[in-house]
Amino acid sequence: MSLHDLIVTPFSYEFMRRGVLSAAVLSLSGGLLGCILVLRRLALMGDALSHSLLPGIALAWLLFGPSTTALFVGALVAGLLTALGSALLSRLTRVKEDAAFGSLFILFFGAGIALVSKLPTRLNLAHFLFGSVLGVSAADLRLAAIVSGVTVLIFLVCYRAILLETFDPVFHRAIGGSGGLVHFGFLALTVLNLVAALQTMGIVLALGLFLLPAVSAYLWCDHFFRMLLLSVAFAVVSSVAGILLSYHAGLASGAAIVLCLGVVFVVSALFSPHYGALQRFQQYLRERHAVHQSPN
Amino acid sequence: MAHNILRFRSLTVRYGPTTALANLTLDIPCGSSTAILGPNGAGKSTLLRAILGWQAVASGEIRLGDAHPQHARPRLAYLPQRQAIDWDFPITVRAVVEQGRYPALRMFHRLAAADHQRVDRALDELGLLDLAERQIRMLSGGQQQRVFLARALAQGADIFLLDEPFAGLDLFACEELTHILRAWETQGRTVLAAVHDLELARRTFTHAVLLDTTLVAAGPIAGVLSPANIDRAFRHGHCVHDHPPGAAQTSEAPR
Repeated sequence: MSLHDLIVTPFSYEFMRRGVLSAAVLSLSGGLLGCILVLRRLALMGDALSHSLLPGIALAWLLFGPSTTALFVGALVAGLLTALGSALLSRLTRVKEDAAFGSLFILFFGAGIALVSKLPTRLNLAHFLFGSVLGVSAADLRLAAIVSGVTVLIFLVCYRAILLETFDPVFHRAIGGSGGLVHFGFLALTVLNLVAALQTMGIVLALGLFLLPAVSAYLWCDHFFRMLLLSVAFAVVSSVAGILLSYHAGLASGAAIVLCLGVVFVVSALFSPHYGALQRFQQYLRERHAVHQSPN
Repeated sequence: MAHNILRFRSLTVRYGPTTALANLTLDIPCGSSTAILGPNGAGKSTLLRAILGWQAVASGEIRLGDAHPQHARPRLAYLPQRQAIDWDFPITVRAVVEQGRYPALRMFHRLAAADHQRVDRALDELGLLDLAERQIRMLSGGQQQRVFLARALAQGADIFLLDEPFAGLDLFACEELTHILRAWETQGRTVLAAVHDLELARRTFTHAVLLDTTLVAAGPIAGVLSPANIDRAFRHGHCVHDHPPGAAQTSEAPR
């Protein structure tokens, strides 16, 4: 197979062009959001949030059929209900926020699975859960572009507020910043991006596009801004590679993208010169050696 | 007598049914370094939070100079507790100190030459210039504390509110911080710090406020920390004794 066959031919198909564009566009915003998720230790919460979208999507499908707008609104409502619901639960009852989130998301996910099993359509559960590049319509692509554009714009405009709220929320508040607004805006953006990534990635795997590039970049960078840039770069390269992999190997697109991101992550975790496992191991060996060599 | 920079008049703060501070009337002299002392739950942190406006005031008022503290925000710098910071955050010493300039910046404007100068001066004053490009984990505990002091300086504040600044510092770092705070006091900066350790407070601060929900005593620290006053503030037999036999250091262990 020539290089041309490998890289150019797949994109002679319209659905492939849409798929790769949608994945690349969402990589821009996903890479940025992922950094905040990682640094604020919200990774697992993001995962829960993505699962909780299912009943909203299923209900929208049941009521309005395969309309992008309806799916989008349904998922958005489900996501926000989970986020707000768990915030309320943790404030009004004894339950802590992580347990509240965990309970609500599993409840929502269960309801979603129940609804999907009743859907009067041949479209199966796997499509919702793991995504399909074939499913990306022109409307989906437009949605992805808008959501990504809005996210990148907000990061540009509110860069300092986002940095302060992530690094030192107490200081942010002391100088008159609005922590609640940034936090809620961040949750809303995450839900928007998860929904937009639905067709390509599926709800179970969508968070991978956010989290994996960010956690890989975290292993390389000592500057917040550079981490954001590197995370976006990892996401874009891996999602293009993933779409190609899914075409040639006949894999679900979400899974293929996650696998490519996974390679970046594993390489980073092992070989990062400052924070990688191998470096730490070498340092440990050196120190042990030094102890054995010392006369005492 | 120096004039008073912070004035509290019959200040009462409540959390739901519990009263955290009751009827506090107090003056903090300009350019003094004041330790806020008292047992756990005496209202030390509440007092700092009330000054910053994070705590609704049930009655009474706080005046900063002639203004309400909300209108004098740039003059106030707040130092977070060490445990509140993620030391693995991808950020360098310089980038943290630059945050001190953020409140003065307009949206979309970058740091100007004057801002960079102030950042450099703050780094220099706290002996951090050589460490400026390091990630913050790569510093000792004392150096880490100095980074946040430098950020407060870069902010251009003249009133510094410190929440348990000695918590989690080793003996050497405590001495270093004591040294810095004494120097600030001679330079006319006002420092107000919630402190746990009476002995450290005695060595560091010129003034003290002793709280036990209500005001027990306030003024020059030697007078405030009389055995009778300490007994009154700590009579509930909480955790602290002024001179435990054989122990010079009772600073809090890191969480």
